[in-house]
Amino acid sequence: MGGFITFLENRVMPVAGRIAEQKHLQAIRDGIILTLPLLIIGSLFLIIGFLPIPGYNEFMSSTFGENWLTKLLYPVNATFDIMALIVSFGVAYRLAEKYKVDPLSAGAISVAAFLLATPYKTMFMPEGASAAVEVGGVIPVALMGSQGLFVAMLLAIISTEIYRKIIQKNIVITMPPGVPPAVSRSFVALIPAFVVLLVVWLLRILLENTSFESIHNIVSDLLAVPLNALGGSLIGAIIAVLLVHMLWAVGLHGAAIVGGVLGPIWLSLMDQNRAAFQANPNGELPNVITQQFFDLWIYAGGSGATLALVVLMLMRAKSQQMKNIGRLSIAPGLFNINEPVTFGMPIVMNPLLIIPFILAPVVLVIISYFAMATGLVAKPSGVAVPWTTPLIISGYLATGGKISGMVLQAFNFIVSLIIYYPFFRMWDKKKLAEEQTDSATQNSDHSLTM
Amino acid sequence: MNILLCCAAGMSTSLLVQRMEQAAREKGITAKIWAVSADEVKKHIGQADVLLLGPQVRYKLAEMKKEGDARGIPVDVIQAMDYGTLNGKNVLEFAMGLKK
Repeated sequence: MGGFITFLENRVMPVAGRIAEQKHLQAIRDGIILTLPLLIIGSLFLIIGFLPIPGYNEFMSSTFGENWLTKLLYPVNATFDIMALIVSFGVAYRLAEKYKVDPLSAGAISVAAFLLATPYKTMFMPEGASAAVEVGGVIPVALMGSQGLFVAMLLAIISTEIYRKIIQKNIVITMPPGVPPAVSRSFVALIPAFVVLLVVWLLRILLENTSFESIHNIVSDLLAVPLNALGGSLIGAIIAVLLVHMLWAVGLHGAAIVGGVLGPIWLSLMDQNRAAFQANPNGELPNVITQQFFDLWIYAGGSGATLALVVLMLMRAKSQQMKNIGRLSIAPGLFNINEPVTFGMPIVMNPLLIIPFILAPVVLVIISYFAMATGLVAKPSGVAVPWTTPLIISGYLATGGKISGMVLQAFNFIVSLIIYYPFFRMWDKKKLAEEQTDSATQNSDHSLTM
Repeated sequence: MNILLCCAAGMSTSLLVQRMEQAAREKGITAKIWAVSADEVKKHIGQADVLLLGPQVRYKLAEMKKEGDARGIPVDVIQAMDYGTLNGKNVLEFAMGLKK
């Protein structure tokens, strides 16, 4: 086990550090963060729209009129459905910041590039018609949401790279002296913006002559679909959870590092469920693995499902040290923050406690996956419940108000309790023995000075 | 003195902020102590005298040091054990030691 920690320190940690520090991945992660408050607000309206109370729908219709749900969900259309548009701006902005070039211009150019890649047409089914017709002159809402996420991220990176290279090489339009500086600044973005749009325009024209027809289709076929299949699979989830906890084992924020890479996949899987849920709250949802699957069913109390461990410390600890850590950790633990446990107990660099810390979440992934895939438990509905939401409440909200979501959380809590128990006992015993020898030596010191 | 703390989301460092403020009051030191997420550090570092990172984001030390060096602000990682036990007194002393 000591060798395992050395291996993590020397091999895994430097690689993880490099990945976490990679400029583009960082920009993607920070850019996506921009959408989260919006998604949480949109989720609030979703939850109110689909409260699982008998007679709720009838009550709302009679109070607010037939179209109450459509009206209530307007904010959902302006949050979830423009996710890619926000990401397009946010990623470019954050990347430009890292290169110390004007982020606002980079963001604006990126949005233009994203829309240039998007054909302004959509399929529309007129009332009474048998087939959908193509309608021009509209921005397709579907591609502004999670379906356009990967295109938005890619183009944000490409356009900002072009933008900063040209700015840094100083290929800009220089104004003669006497022109106010504010005016010349407004011309600075001109050449890079032109090059970016030229490149995207050529790409679009080129692809329109292939069977892919658009940038969105080629990215979806070659990137989004395979990545989503991989990230949404049981094996993908197990690998992700293993990586997260191996990084935590050496004291690095695994969820932030792994989530930085896989976040976009889990976000788009989440939104696929959201769209299906919104269309039919009682219908079959496409994905088990979403961001909420990990946050709410696996990481109860924080990474490693440590809430059970904290409860053990509170109720069963004999050593003073574990009692103290338990008291210190319970309040943050209820909101899924567990640094007092990981660093205080500690779990980090602790060969004994790393075993349940990695084992428990892997077991929970397998249990939860099968419980949801077989239909025993409701899948996450795509409602973006914040990861700090306490257990049980979060399971109810995230499934769109299904009791089974809460039951699985309670079941998982008991499973993690059982996995942690023997390891907790061993560690507590060791700490107690240390405390007893400490006080014994103190007593003998005392008698010497007498 | 102004002490800025940073971790992944600024959540767990905010726990430590309360403990450090308490320790500062006991010592009679006026200190502004606050916690932000890693991506917000650039916005806040200008107002700080010291920047401390949570041990779980110590892989960001090189990047943050660059930001700090440019402004003459010392940057370091908080001791894991002090962090885990939320030892506000030790971390406060650590921060003050860096400033000297």
